[in-house]
Amino acid sequence: MQKKKSFMLLFAIIMVMATVLSACGGNNNGNTGTNAGASNTPSESNGNEQPAANDGKADTSEEVVLKMLLVGGKPIDYDVVFGELNKKLKEKINATVEAEFLDWSDWTQKYPLKFAANEDFDIAYTANWAFYNDQALKGGFLELTEELLSANMPLTWKAMPEVAWNQAKVNGKLFMVPNNNPEVTDKAVLIREDLRKKHNLEPVNSPETFANYVKTIAANEKGINAYNAKAADGWKWHELDQILLEQQNEWNLVDYNIPLAYKLTDEKGQVFNVYDTPEFKQLLAYYKDLADNNAWSKNVVSNKNDVWQDMKAGKTASYAHNLGTLAMNLAELRREQPEVELAIADLTPDKKKIAAISTQNGMAIHATSKNAERSLMLIDLLQNDKEIHDLFMNGIAGNHYEAVGDDKFNATAGTPNFTGFSNWGANSPLNRKDASYPAEADAIANAWQEKIHNFALETFVFNDANVKNEVANVGNVMLRYAIPLEYGLIKDIDKGHADLIEQLKAAGIEKLQQELQTQIDAFLANQ
Amino acid sequence: MNRSGFWGDVLKQRMLLLMLTPAVLFFLLFAYVPMAGIVLAFKQFNYGGGIFGSPWNGLDNFRFFFESGNAWMVTKNTALYNIAFIVVNNVLQIAVAILLFEAVGKWFRKITQTVLFLPYFISWVVVGAIAYNLFNYDVGTINSILNAFGIEPIDIYNTPAYWPFILVLVSAWKALGYGSVMYLAAITGIDTEMYEAAEIDGANVFQRIFHITVPNLYPTIIILVLLAIGNIFRGDFGMFYNMVGNNGLLFSSTDVIDTFVFRSLTTSNEIGLSAAAGFYQSVLGFATILLANYAVRKYDKDHALF
Repeated sequence: MQKKKSFMLLFAIIMVMATVLSACGGNNNGNTGTNAGASNTPSESNGNEQPAANDGKADTSEEVVLKMLLVGGKPIDYDVVFGELNKKLKEKINATVEAEFLDWSDWTQKYPLKFAANEDFDIAYTANWAFYNDQALKGGFLELTEELLSANMPLTWKAMPEVAWNQAKVNGKLFMVPNNNPEVTDKAVLIREDLRKKHNLEPVNSPETFANYVKTIAANEKGINAYNAKAADGWKWHELDQILLEQQNEWNLVDYNIPLAYKLTDEKGQVFNVYDTPEFKQLLAYYKDLADNNAWSKNVVSNKNDVWQDMKAGKTASYAHNLGTLAMNLAELRREQPEVELAIADLTPDKKKIAAISTQNGMAIHATSKNAERSLMLIDLLQNDKEIHDLFMNGIAGNHYEAVGDDKFNATAGTPNFTGFSNWGANSPLNRKDASYPAEADAIANAWQEKIHNFALETFVFNDANVKNEVANVGNVMLRYAIPLEYGLIKDIDKGHADLIEQLKAAGIEKLQQELQTQIDAFLANQ
Repeated sequence: MNRSGFWGDVLKQRMLLLMLTPAVLFFLLFAYVPMAGIVLAFKQFNYGGGIFGSPWNGLDNFRFFFESGNAWMVTKNTALYNIAFIVVNNVLQIAVAILLFEAVGKWFRKITQTVLFLPYFISWVVVGAIAYNLFNYDVGTINSILNAFGIEPIDIYNTPAYWPFILVLVSAWKALGYGSVMYLAAITGIDTEMYEAAEIDGANVFQRIFHITVPNLYPTIIILVLLAIGNIFRGDFGMFYNMVGNNGLLFSSTDVIDTFVFRSLTTSNEIGLSAAAGFYQSVLGFATILLANYAVRKYDKDHALF
């Protein structure tokens, strides 16, 4: 009896403590409530005019620290360069900037969390491939009105072409200061030119010559993967698909998370399932042939290595990426290992090219930022003030780069200490070009510029709010059925293909297609 | 000690209460306070509204999981893997604990224990990398050895059939040290007089183990197993994700609820959908532990958790 009583008492104490603690918890909840309330305010005041922006120029008498969210690893000389940058910014707009870096390895997980947790930051790097539409639709970014922009970003307001602003609009509203740097998004392949010459192969400039190249390397060069990819990092396509499926057939995939595309020349924008086309079946046979000839490792979908590092180490003989990256790789290897000869191969030289829309890179203001005006001023300077732009993009002259004239630079020993993160949001015509930028990459880029195809659906973005279940399920099917099939890991490709189509149907591809078509039709009707 | 009443008892048990505090605090802070977040499973989350202000959307968030056609497969995989882990890990841990207890030589015992404990501290990311270097088709250790003996290489990363065994093995390897220490502690707590009496009566080592040690371990085993059963619908994400990654070929035999949900939702960042999947796991887990406890209670009232 005595024992029982003391136990009851113990229990009572625990309950008391629990109540006290949950009171704290309650407080916490209260806080969340107010936060949520606070986050509502800016978007509400958006509808009206920003009070501070009314009198033309915002008040900069009070010094502020602006927090900026960037993607990529923190550069080694961050303190040096940003120290210098802050001195200049203090003079110009009475503000300093602190950047937080989300490492490439896990930024896709961290980035949305920063918004979900409503952390305190003012500016975020964003892009069409970095959650721009997603966050804009969810209310993570501040809407940028014309008054806000013209009042606080005089340089950018003058320099940015109107089409770039329009391309950045989501449902008619602007949430981003896009970069100002027209480029082509097409992909090319980096190959080992010395090995090609060694085996007396034709120049690589088409899918057929490429197949010949990788098969020869695979058969004759022991210990080298003829082609390599980081196949299973969540990307739902074979890394050659953009070249061999999209560019080769002049299609445009609406969203890389779903297998729906339209023809570039189709003015009606009729979407179709790319997996359900004869072109895709042909490509499967092409891939299967490469896989059977050991063009890539059997474990390609479990690859945990960095492909470019493998290529530098001489263990990989080709990989696909966008032109800018490949050109940088080429320049890097020429500096470090001049004895190895690489070449950029364009497998689809005669096809129509798609121009990158302005949202390829950009910066946005966090919806709950208290310093929206000053943040815009900062972005204005980063993008269009020569001195600050140079600092932000290249680091300190003489240390991180050597200036060549006004528009070029040479890499120095210090270059690697300030690079590798997403300062691209500030891309502008002021960008310096690497003086050692390979001429052949320039030649390819120039040739591409001439073949740019502009089309009505360029700026269309898919709003998946009504079909998010189907998007999640279709994406899962692509990873599970399409990736192994494309890498030739499934013996019977006909059966594998039939499975894929069937699973897609079960996952709701038809509903997705209908929804997408409806949105495209509405978009075109509004043009 | 004549003071009675509530405060008297508090004072009397102050040591025990103090020791209890961290655990109570921990669960309050990390399990009970955040529990309110469950509402997210029934909401269309947006940043403006936050957790409590977002609009309700009924059971919409659950549609994704059940309409995917994978719900049954991943639920089954999760449960079967966890059952295998519980059985294999506990049997091995008990066996090792008994062996260590019976082993002579203090040094031998300490060193063995330390070596067994080591894997527990290795992160799953590192284990994944080690596995990749072992299993790789072209340059992996296993295939290099097979090659040296002139045996055909095996393609582990493309053969789902190997994986249940690999995963059970790796899990056992990693948990062995930690679990056996718990059982060893329980064995050390058994009254030595019983062993002495048994020895005098002429019992050999095996009789001692099976008639004294094992029966005395039952309460510990039952508690540990019951606690593990509560988590039977939660896959060990760190393990499955780092060992298997996004290798679609292996999903049929390795996909668990956690990896499936992560993979499907990592690009769309729909917090509501993930919350719904977590809620589903919790409800299933809660039901299983109630059932298991009920079963134990029927069999032996003293050993049940509650």
